Amino acid sequence: MGIISFLYKDNPWYKFCEALFVGISAGYWLCTVFWSQLVAKLWDNVFATTAGQPRQYVYLVGGILGLMMLLRLVPKIGWFSRWPLAFVVGGTAGAYIVGYALSNGMKQVKSTILPLWVSGNLYATVGNIILVVGTFCGLVYFFFSKEHKGTYGRIAKLGIFFLMITFGASFGYTVMARMSLLIGRMDFLFGTWLGLIK
Amino acid sequence: MNKRKFCLVAVIALIALNFFALVLSAQEASTSPATPSDSRWFDTNRFNVFITLAIVFGAILWFIGRAKKGKSLFVRRIAGLDAIEEAVGRATEMGKSVLYIPGIHDMNDIQTVASMIILGNVAKTIARYDIPLIVPIRMPFVVPVAEEAVRQGYSSAGRLDAFVKDNIRFISDEQFAYAAAVSGIMLRERPAANLLLGSFYAESLLLAETGASTGAIQVAGTANIHQLPFFIVACDYTLIGEELFAASAYLSREPKLLGSLKGSDLAKAVIVLAIILGTILETAGVKWFTKLFIVQ
Amino acid sequence: MRKEVPLIITFLAGFFFIADYFIPHTGFSNIAADVNGWAIIVLAFSYILGVGNVLRINAQRIAKKEKDWVLKVILVLCLFFMLGIGIFGGIAEGSIFDWFFVNTYTPMQATMFALLAFFIASAAFRAFRVRTTQAALLAITAVLVMIGRVPIGETIWKSFPDFTEWIMGVPQLAGKRAILIGAALGAISTGLKVITGLERTYMGQD
Repeated sequence: MGIISFLYKDNPWYKFCEALFVGISAGYWLCTVFWSQLVAKLWDNVFATTAGQPRQYVYLVGGILGLMMLLRLVPKIGWFSRWPLAFVVGGTAGAYIVGYALSNGMKQVKSTILPLWVSGNLYATVGNIILVVGTFCGLVYFFFSKEHKGTYGRIAKLGIFFLMITFGASFGYTVMARMSLLIGRMDFLFGTWLGLIK
Repeated sequence: MNKRKFCLVAVIALIALNFFALVLSAQEASTSPATPSDSRWFDTNRFNVFITLAIVFGAILWFIGRAKKGKSLFVRRIAGLDAIEEAVGRATEMGKSVLYIPGIHDMNDIQTVASMIILGNVAKTIARYDIPLIVPIRMPFVVPVAEEAVRQGYSSAGRLDAFVKDNIRFISDEQFAYAAAVSGIMLRERPAANLLLGSFYAESLLLAETGASTGAIQVAGTANIHQLPFFIVACDYTLIGEELFAASAYLSREPKLLGSLKGSDLAKAVIVLAIILGTILETAGVKWFTKLFIVQ
Repeated sequence: MRKEVPLIITFLAGFFFIADYFIPHTGFSNIAADVNGWAIIVLAFSYILGVGNVLRINAQRIAKKEKDWVLKVILVLCLFFMLGIGIFGGIAEGSIFDWFFVNTYTPMQATMFALLAFFIASAAFRAFRVRTTQAALLAITAVLVMIGRVPIGETIWKSFPDFTEWIMGVPQLAGKRAILIGAALGAISTGLKVITGLERTYMGQD
């Protein structure tokens, strides 16, 4: 109820609930990370292995890098924290280069290469033409090296129209999903809690 | 022992420790029960991906090389990116703060990396005008990165004295606790400009709508397609997908970064040509070209 | 060294993970899994920094008795309480920690999620204030998809749901693909700039 009161305006009850939520969640996540990663991945693998299981000293490196992160709290040697920072950022960059190239790049290009004429199937033919033309126009819109003028500008404008259709469809699709969440909460409040709905 | 020698010793020690640990790990792997092993050093089934990356890298590096040689590089105006400076200007006129929300993902998301780069540029602009820059953060690892980015921005503008570390605040790892707290910041501190740039999920609507209700000028940008409609509807300007990644080059106007933007444009042109060629071939019943894009 | 070493680490880490995709060698893959484990541990340690940040900022506000300082006290107390019961009592199902998670955290989280329904209505109102052709296109498509996904759509026109599916499968997909391909190139470009050290904002400078 306190959270829902936010819809009216900011008020002390919402502020209290917000403080409660933020405090509990911050504590919750630190505990979860402590047990599931620091203890399970680092401590258990290096120091407290079960009988017959070899110690995996390799995780000590992660521990050392993690401790270097904490050196940030000491101003004079805080610059050491840039090493684990660089490691994570560099690794992210490398992993995402490949990930995006595959799922967003090559797979999408392959899916866009479609025959513009499907014999005996007008529905598929029209669909393929719209898909290819729409993707082409959308890519033209994202071209930064040329001003959107003349014929080129008109193609880019058609691209924006396709993008607006994408956003409108996505918006409409999501509305129903959100409504179902609200129905769930109202059911709890008026049904389970107040017993007004049976 | 001076600092340089100390660093050198530390790096060598770290590499030695890594090597030692990896050798131990490899030994244990070799004594563990036999599992199917692969001794190849290159997966030839993925050669097409290798070539694709080589083409894209080549295009980007070539244009960066051109930029280094002083060639002028034209980039068209991007309204959403121009709006960032407009938003900062408006906040300055009103004497209010700028709220920068770098998304909800950790630094292991390239959108967050891009957001941090933009944050540095925004901080450099804001440093000149002496208005607060508030950066609420969801993931703890982003905090030191944001601190470094903002500090560098202020330092580049010669205003390191104006840098306030406490304005970069870790809120909570929980998505909606973060959204609740940021909504609270928007309603209570009433920033004049909200910049929502990075990776967002369901909370995007909450943040954008709350920000819109306060009358702040809002510029948003994400590559998460499902959140873009909410930003388009609730924000004054929206950076769509690639525009978010182009922001750092556009805002800084550094020749090498602009070169990378042109390079990705060249790669895009190659992709468009590939789609056109592939479509013609597919229509003619020739299938081999499409198979080049199959990913294993 | 303060600048060079992080740049070298970024470069090595970046190309290592790119190479991991192309090198199927079992030994290399095992090493990659371990290196991934290091990143997870580093991210876990950063939670300590994050909570430290929360405590530092809120402690200052409490000490200075700034506006709503009492709420900051509640925030800090809740944080310490969850830390205490979680670390000393464990987080297993049936523990006090788990009870608080189920009975306080989960309902608040679900309620925040449910607020989205109200906000989406407000967003829809904003979307339907059509001023340009592009806005009209967004609004019309949204309405068509919404109607197509509820029973009344089929009542109005038998093929409405199929038409909605066609919108999702053809024009919507075309725009989506353009965004995805563009984003891929942008991400690759950003990644390459970070790995090669062209972009080093995240590292700061002395």
